[in-house]
Amino acid sequence: MAKAIKKSPTWIILILFSLITLFPMFWMLISSFKIEQEIYLEDPTWFPEVFTLQNYKDLFTKFDFGLLTINTVVITLTVVLICLILGTMASYGFSRYPFPGSTIALGALLLTRMVTPSALVLPLYIIMEKWGLLNTLTSIIMGISVLNLPFVIWIMKPFFDDLPKEIEEAAQLDGLSPFRIFWKIALPLAKPALITVFLFTFIAGWVDVLFAMTFSTVPDAMPLTMGLLQMQTGYKVYWGPMMAGGIYVTVPTFVLSYVLQKYLIAGLRSGY
Amino acid sequence: MKRKWEKSKSGLTLTIPSIIFVFSLLIYPIVYLFTLSFKEYSPLRSSEIKFVGLENYKWLFTSEQVGHSIWLTIVFTVSSVLVEVIISLFIAVLLSKLMIGTKTRTKSTGSKIFYSIFLLPFATPAVAAAIAWKMLLHPLFGPVNDILNKNIAWFTNYPMVSVVIVDAWKMIPMVLFLVLAAIMSIDPDQFEAAKMDGANGFQEFIYLTMPSIKSVLSVTVAFRAVDAFTKVFDVVYMTTGGGPGNKTEVFPLLIWKTAFSHLHFGKASALAIVAIIISSLLGILLISQGKIKHGKSN
Repeated sequence: MAKAIKKSPTWIILILFSLITLFPMFWMLISSFKIEQEIYLEDPTWFPEVFTLQNYKDLFTKFDFGLLTINTVVITLTVVLICLILGTMASYGFSRYPFPGSTIALGALLLTRMVTPSALVLPLYIIMEKWGLLNTLTSIIMGISVLNLPFVIWIMKPFFDDLPKEIEEAAQLDGLSPFRIFWKIALPLAKPALITVFLFTFIAGWVDVLFAMTFSTVPDAMPLTMGLLQMQTGYKVYWGPMMAGGIYVTVPTFVLSYVLQKYLIAGLRSGY
Repeated sequence: MKRKWEKSKSGLTLTIPSIIFVFSLLIYPIVYLFTLSFKEYSPLRSSEIKFVGLENYKWLFTSEQVGHSIWLTIVFTVSSVLVEVIISLFIAVLLSKLMIGTKTRTKSTGSKIFYSIFLLPFATPAVAAAIAWKMLLHPLFGPVNDILNKNIAWFTNYPMVSVVIVDAWKMIPMVLFLVLAAIMSIDPDQFEAAKMDGANGFQEFIYLTMPSIKSVLSVTVAFRAVDAFTKVFDVVYMTTGGGPGNKTEVFPLLIWKTAFSHLHFGKASALAIVAIIISSLLGILLISQGKIKHGKSN
């Protein structure tokens, strides 16, 4: 009992801090169920007086969220695939089969992790224009992938370094090719690192704004993030649908982070 | 000898796709950027690309706008990292008290709930965070003004403070998780011993907790600072857009606006080259400090 009382200030501070942490998204959530007039009240209501789902319906009827969702899913999954396939192969290669100059190549790759994204977006824009890829999902996918590939190698290479080599050596004696050893033996062992990398590249693809807003001006090649940005036009801000849209884009990344939180923390600790 | 070559070859087949990918979409563009930084190119206005020598760099080093922007980026980096580290430390210490107190040290239900709550800002896309805060801090119908009983136009009157608040909200959980993990890896017997010696909470923090987590903390701070300095973009672009005037025009945003709002591709290239040099230097510094073996912040 005495112990519980002694701990109560700790609890109070933590609960207060949690409430502050939750508040922005809580407010967004309740606002998304309000009708427009209620959002504009100068004495804001803490719960919707008139509950409506209209803002969510508007996302699909007025703001093309159906199409934008498909675009975002395509962007995200392709980015994840490119990063995972190229990244794990390269990490394994760097870890097991160093070649002359491979440390330099690896160092250069890792250094690009630090590059300011907005510095890179300009030359990429010019290149994409030359290749006729502006206003396509491909350009956005390539931009996000190339910036996240170094991170994948950053996480995966040390993981492969730490895997015991004995099994692979035995497989080699049995005459398995390096590629098959990678595919059949090393990759399944690397599952935890793969999940971590999956989570981070998924989020990177899902939340991108920079490449989308630079490379694309047409709805056909726009992700959800751009749809949200476009709700703030010069003469009107669509607060209701914007709140609903904010919740809508957050749900997938939150659910994924929640389910995979163990891997998220592992990823953070490896220096994301 | 032959075997060694075979080995190199299989290594190359695994790494070459990544190297080609990164070369054509990262290294080549940077080289291109470098050549463009000596030229004047304003697409839409004219398709002409003129060689202007060091003109862009001369502008860059004398322009008040650029100096101001770099200064703002430093202010942003220092204040957001400071706020994030101080709050994270405080909350992590409190949270660890709850977790260490339990006999088994398995996570209690309470700490599990806190964990999930702190996941939220991390998982919120920057664009959603930005619009949520725009609503919260809205001068007319935002709840923050309602609670404070004030009529403040936050993003106009206190743009930098507001931007730091949004960034801190989003990034504190990340720092918090790292610091908490470091505290939890301290041997619980040491806390017992400190208690036996009659140390109070503050003394325990100064003489036991801080020294034990010092290395993790410095790596975290270094990483956060480099990231804040080189990558601050989304939140600023979507809340203040760099304004009002250029009061929050941080460096990455300045590069983007010079290129895509003002269409000075040459000048923007020079800025981008400077940004790449700064971020590479910071990166080399981080790695060479030996504090970080890549993939393992020790």
